[in-house]
Amino acid sequence: MENISAGDTAWLLASAALVMLMTPALGFFYGGLVRRKNVLATIMHSFFILCLISVQWVLWGYSLAFGPDHGGLIGGLDWLSLRGVGQAPNPDYAPTVPHLGFMVFQMMFAVITPALITGAFAERKRFKAFVVFTLLWATFVYDPVAHWVWGTGGWLRMLGTLDFAGGTVVHITSGVSALVAALVLGRRKGLGLEPIEPHDATMTVLGASLLWFGWFGFNAGSAINAGGLAANAFVVTNTAAAMAALTWMTVSWLHKGAPSVLGAAAGAVAGLVAITPASGFVDVSAAILIGLGAGTFCYVGIQVTKRLKVDDALDVFGVHGIGGMWGALATGIFATVAVNSAGKDGLVFGNPEQLGIQAIAVLASVTYSAVMTFVILKIIDAFVGLRVPENEEVLGLDASQHREAAYTI
Amino acid sequence: MELAAFASFAVLVVAWLIAPTKGEVVHIESVKKTTEAAQAA
Repeated sequence: MENISAGDTAWLLASAALVMLMTPALGFFYGGLVRRKNVLATIMHSFFILCLISVQWVLWGYSLAFGPDHGGLIGGLDWLSLRGVGQAPNPDYAPTVPHLGFMVFQMMFAVITPALITGAFAERKRFKAFVVFTLLWATFVYDPVAHWVWGTGGWLRMLGTLDFAGGTVVHITSGVSALVAALVLGRRKGLGLEPIEPHDATMTVLGASLLWFGWFGFNAGSAINAGGLAANAFVVTNTAAAMAALTWMTVSWLHKGAPSVLGAAAGAVAGLVAITPASGFVDVSAAILIGLGAGTFCYVGIQVTKRLKVDDALDVFGVHGIGGMWGALATGIFATVAVNSAGKDGLVFGNPEQLGIQAIAVLASVTYSAVMTFVILKIIDAFVGLRVPENEEVLGLDASQHREAAYTI
Repeated sequence: MELAAFASFAVLVVAWLIAPTKGEVVHIESVKKTTEAAQAA
């Protein structure tokens, strides 16, 4: 126990708490964007996942993701129900904090990732189907990909992939899965024929602000120590979020004729997504360019998705899929060992090979997530049914699925 | 890279100065209802 640092441990546990807050914040971000008849069901998606994955993670998720390696693909079952995961540090993952502290920090990442997907199937998915999907997806998509990238012996980690806080593991997997879910479930009833508007934009902006706040734990906490690297991650995270919000607002202003408040909120989230894999490897100038790219590419991506008539209800693929891919590739462009000596230089610092490695990680995570999500959804559709009946969709999911109403006035 | 960062921010500032505010607002359902109620009154 003599290696435990009180400062590192305090920062990591505080960061875990910050990341925990992001999942209910996501519920509010999404909740404001849906119609009032679906707001409780939408918030419940995030809140329920917080509970569900908290238990899944300690029982088997952590072991699959971070347990002793099997062929670079998956962790073993050695740490089932946290057997052997105690107060002593694990030198492979976090040499100066209790292993339990590292485990619970990673738990919060496992929690928020499937919650991100829920925005794609909002306002039409059966609650039972959602529960089964989340459990299967966390086990067969998140846990293996987390092992590939972060687990000791994981094949993408061995290849040299840089993913500081989860651009590949969290955002590409969830964003691509969201697109597949939107395609498999189909469009909401009435879309394009009747107005489907956000019922409370203030709730969404509050949710985005809390996400931003929690993201400091997500990225700066991923340094796993309370030092200079955490400070760098904190600064570039804030910078990229701000720049992406400004860019999205500007692009949408030029495109649609007004500086959108919801656009600024979505832009900030896109910037946070894009800087996530890069936050421990790039400086502040790169963060500005990453934010610029996030605000532009994600906005354009959403316009294309809408033109293709894909009902990704709350733009999860546009923000997390495209933002995650841009962030992963941008890490291969802008990374520098001047920021993190344990990292690598990227394209602009004379190492084009890193961009190729990042592209392989993107391609692998996109392909695996898409195929597995499709299979999981088809299995659930066959046994449980994915969508609520049409009359229940019209009534709203708050009443039909939960027998409750969000507002009495 | 510093130059590109400064330049990109400058482009945004210029865009805010020249971007017009335009377009109909009646596509927003709540605004449409308010407008209709005002006209009825």
